[in-house]
Amino acid sequence: MIASGTKNFTSLFSRYKVLSLLFVIAVIWLLFGWLTDGFFLSPRNFSNLLRQMAITGMLASAMVFVIISGEIDLSVGSLLGLLGGVAAILDVRYGVPVVANFLVVILLGLAAGLFNGWWVAFRGVPSFIVGLAGLMAYRGVLLGVTDGATIAPVSPGFVIIGQAYLPLLVGDILAGLAFLLIAFLILRSRQKRQQYNLDVPPLWQEVAKLVAIGIVIAGIVITLDDYRGIPIPVLVMMIILGVFTLLAQRTVFGRRIYAVGSNLEATRLSGVNVRMVKLMIFGLVGLMCAFAGLTTTARLAAGSPSAGNLGELDAIASCIIGGTSMRGGSGTVYGALIGALIMASLDNGMSMLGVETFWQMIVKGSILLLAVWVDIATSAKS
Amino acid sequence: MSDYLLEMKGIVKEFSGVKALDGIDLKVHPGEVVGLCGENGAGKSTMMKVLSAVYPYGTWDGEILWEGKPLQAASIRETEDAGIVIIHQELMLVPELSVAENIFLGREITNGGFLDYEAMNAEAARLMAELKMSHVNVAMPVSHYSGGVLQLIEIAKALGKNAKLLILDEPSSALSQTETEILLDLIRGLKHRNVACVYISHKLEEIEAIADTVTVIRDGQFIGSAPMSELTIDKIINMMVGRELTEKYPHEEHTIGDVIFEVRHINCYDPLNPQMKKVDDVSFQVRAGEILGIAGLVGAGRTEMASAIFGYYKGPHSLEVYLNGEQISVKDPEAAVKHGICMVPEDRKRHGIVPLLGVGQNITMAVLPRFTQGGLINEAAEFATIRGEIDRMGIKTASPVLAIASLSGGNQQKAVVSKMLLANPRVLILDEPTRGVDVGAKYEIYKLIYELAKQGIAIIMISSEMPEVLGISDRVLVIGEGQLRGDFVNDGTLTQEKILTAALTRRQMAA
Ligand SMILES: Nc1ncnc2c1ncn2[C@@H]1O[C@H](COP(=O)(O)OP(=O)(O)OP(=O)(O)O)[C@@H](O)[C@H]1O
Ligand SMILES: [Mg+2]
Repeated sequence: MIASGTKNFTSLFSRYKVLSLLFVIAVIWLLFGWLTDGFFLSPRNFSNLLRQMAITGMLASAMVFVIISGEIDLSVGSLLGLLGGVAAILDVRYGVPVVANFLVVILLGLAAGLFNGWWVAFRGVPSFIVGLAGLMAYRGVLLGVTDGATIAPVSPGFVIIGQAYLPLLVGDILAGLAFLLIAFLILRSRQKRQQYNLDVPPLWQEVAKLVAIGIVIAGIVITLDDYRGIPIPVLVMMIILGVFTLLAQRTVFGRRIYAVGSNLEATRLSGVNVRMVKLMIFGLVGLMCAFAGLTTTARLAAGSPSAGNLGELDAIASCIIGGTSMRGGSGTVYGALIGALIMASLDNGMSMLGVETFWQMIVKGSILLLAVWVDIATSAKS
Repeated sequence: MSDYLLEMKGIVKEFSGVKALDGIDLKVHPGEVVGLCGENGAGKSTMMKVLSAVYPYGTWDGEILWEGKPLQAASIRETEDAGIVIIHQELMLVPELSVAENIFLGREITNGGFLDYEAMNAEAARLMAELKMSHVNVAMPVSHYSGGVLQLIEIAKALGKNAKLLILDEPSSALSQTETEILLDLIRGLKHRNVACVYISHKLEEIEAIADTVTVIRDGQFIGSAPMSELTIDKIINMMVGRELTEKYPHEEHTIGDVIFEVRHINCYDPLNPQMKKVDDVSFQVRAGEILGIAGLVGAGRTEMASAIFGYYKGPHSLEVYLNGEQISVKDPEAAVKHGICMVPEDRKRHGIVPLLGVGQNITMAVLPRFTQGGLINEAAEFATIRGEIDRMGIKTASPVLAIASLSGGNQQKAVVSKMLLANPRVLILDEPTRGVDVGAKYEIYKLIYELAKQGIAIIMISSEMPEVLGISDRVLVIGEGQLRGDFVNDGTLTQEKILTAALTRRQMAA
C-alpha cells in the first residue's frame, strides 16, 4: 500500500491541479525575482507581464475548446496577424472610424473561423491540415496586403485598447464585484451540491479557497494600481475568462464540446449535431483571433506583417501546460490561462536577464515536455 | 502444498474510498470451470482485473496464490507469462488493424526482423477455424466486422496465448446461441487439456451447462461457493439477488393501435465491397404500442438494418421511412431523434457512452436543451431528472457525477437506455437492450418496455436471445442473411425451432 501521507498530498494536487500550476508559477517568479534583484517582481514589470500574456491568453482560451473537442488549430497566429493588419490598413489608409473598424474586423475574424470550421466539420478535412493551410495562406494574404511593410501610425483612439489603463477607482470596484460574484457562485454551487446529496469538500476548504482567491485578486489589483491600474487588454482577458468558463460549465454548447471530444460517435448517436458544435468552436477561435489581432495592433500602434508569428504554438503550449488533454474530452479555460501566464513569465523573465532567444526557445520547449510528462506520470497512478 | 491452481483470499479493492470488493475468496483447481455470478456492479470484473494485474499488486489488499506461490504481479505482462489470460468484458481490439494483426498484437511473429504476415495469417486462420469462423478473412481490418465476430476474434486472441487459466468476462453477451455453443464446446476441449476457466455470465443457462463450481458475490461481498451439481439456476438467482425471483418475463396487457411506423425496401451494401448486400430489400411495419422482436443469427444484418433506419449506416444504402403514413427523411441520427425515432445501439463502448462525462451528463445528453433557462443549464432541474432516472433504472453508482466509464458494464447499459427514454421516443429501436444486464435488472427493463408500449410507443427490439424475443414480443420478424425470412405473431405457438428454421430457410417473402 502507498503511504497515506503522500497519497493525501498527491490526491490533493490531482484534485486541484490548479494548485500544482500555481506552485510552478511561484517557483518561476521567485527564481526570476532573485536573479533580477527583485526587478522581475516590480509592479511595473508585473503589469507588463500580464499585458504580454493577454494576447496569448485570448488565443488559448478559445484554443482550449478546440483541443477539448479533439481537434487542433494551427492557423491562429497567422489569422491574428492578418486581422490585426487589416485593422491597421483600415485605420491608417482609409481612416475608418475605430468602432466601425473593430466591428468589421470582429466579423471578419468570425467569418474566417467559421470558414476553417466548415472545412473541418462539413468537408471532413483533418483540422491539422486545415490549420496548416491557414497558417500559410493567411500569412500570405497579410504579406500581400501590407507589401511586407509595417503600417503606422495607428490613430490614438485605436491604441487605447492596447495601451490604456482603467481608472484606479473603476478597476477597484470591478475587482470587488468580481470577487463577490465568484464568492456567490462558489457558495451557491456548494449549496446546490448539498441539495442534490453530492459530496462537498468541508466548509473550511471552501472558505480557504475563497480567501485565497480574494488574496490573489487583491494582490493583482493592488500591484497593478501601484503602477498605473488595470491594463485594458488584461480586463478584456479577464472578461473572456469569465464568459468562457460559464460557457464551458453551464451551457449546452459547452457540455457538448466535452462530449464530442470524449466520444464523437456516441454523441452523434444521441441526436446531437456534432458538426455544428465543431463549426461553432472554430467560429469562436476566429472571434478570439480578431480580439487578439486588434490588441496586438493597438499595443504596437502599428500593423506588422510578422505579428502573431508562432502565436499558435504559444496558445497550444499554454493549453497543454494548463492541463488540457491532447486526447480530448478534458481541460479548463482557467488552466489554459495559467499556462499562458507560465509561458509569459518565462519569456519576460528570460528577456529581462538577457538570455539569448535560442536559449529561451530551448527552455520553453523543455518546460512543455516536462509539464506533459509530469501530468501523465501522476495521472497514470490513479 | 495445496492442489489449487489459484487461490484468492480476502481481496479488498477500493475506488476513492468506496469498497468495490470487500474480502472476496475464489479458488480454482487445474482444469476446473468456475462460474462467477453476481448482479451488475457486484464486483466480478473488478475481481478479475485484480487477478490479471490490470490493477497491479499494491493497489488492493489480500492475497493471491498461484500454483501455491504468492503472485504479486505488477503488470498484465507478468500474469500472462504466468498463464493467466483474460478476455475483458469490453472489447480491446484495434479497429484499423487486421484480424490477424489483432490476434498477434504484442507477440507478433517476426522473420529476420520483419513481420511474418504469412505465418501470422495462417495461424490466425487456424484459430478462427477452431471457432468455426472460417468465413472471416483474417487479413481484413477488424472494423469491417461487428457484434459476435468481434467477440470471437477476441477469444481467438486469448487462445493464441498458452493459458493455464482463462478468464472470460461475459464472453457470450454478443454471441448468438450457435456461437455460444461453439464457445462452450471449446471450453470443454480446453478443460481436457487441463486448462482452468473462470466464466462470468448473466446467462445462467450457460453457467449451468459449463461450470463445475459456482461462486456468487453480491455488493463486493462473498456470498457462497458450491458445486454446480448441488445448485439450480433458481438457487443461484436467489444467492445473487438475495430474494426469490419467480418469473423472468413480466407480461402486461397493452393495446396495439394503428401502424405508425413503416420502412420499405431497406437495402444496405458492404462499405468496402459495394457488390455485397448486407440487407436485402427488407420492409416492415410497426404499430403503436406494439413490441416487434427481430430475431436472427448474429451477423444476419439486423444491426446494419437498424443503423440504416437511424441514419448512420456507413456504406451505400437506400430505404424509405414512413411515420404516421408520411414519408420522412432520416439523413442522420439528429433528424431521427427529432422525428421521435430513438435507438439504443448495440456497441455500448463505441456508440453508447461518452466515457469522460458523468453518469448524469450521459443520461441527459440527448435532451440537455430542455433544462436551459436564459441560455444556461438549470442544474437543479437537470439533477432532479438525473436522480429520478438513476432511481427508476436502479443504476448503481457512487455518485451521479462519477465518470460513466467507471461504472460496471450493466449499469452503463442502463444509463444508455435511460438516455434514450428521456428523449420521448415515438419509435424506439433497441439493439440488444439487455446485453450484459443481470437477471433482476433485465426484468426491470422488460417492465419498462411494457410501460412504453402502454404509452403507445412502437418498439423494435433486436435480440439474439431467443427466449427474450419469445418472452416479450407481440410479433417476431426473422432475418437471415440480410433477408426477411419470417413474420410471426407471437401467440404462444411460436417456438425457437420455428424461428431458427425460418432464419435458415432461403426463400423470398412478400412483405
Ligand atoms: N475505476 C473505477 N472507479 C470507481 N468505481 C469503480 C471503478 N471500477 C469499478 N467501479 C465500481 O465497482 C463496482 C463493481 O464493478 P464491476 O465492474 O466489478 O461489476 P460487475 O460485477 O462486473 O458488473 P457487470 O455485471 O455489470 O459487469 C461498481 O459499483 C463500479 O461502479
Ligand atoms: Mg463486469
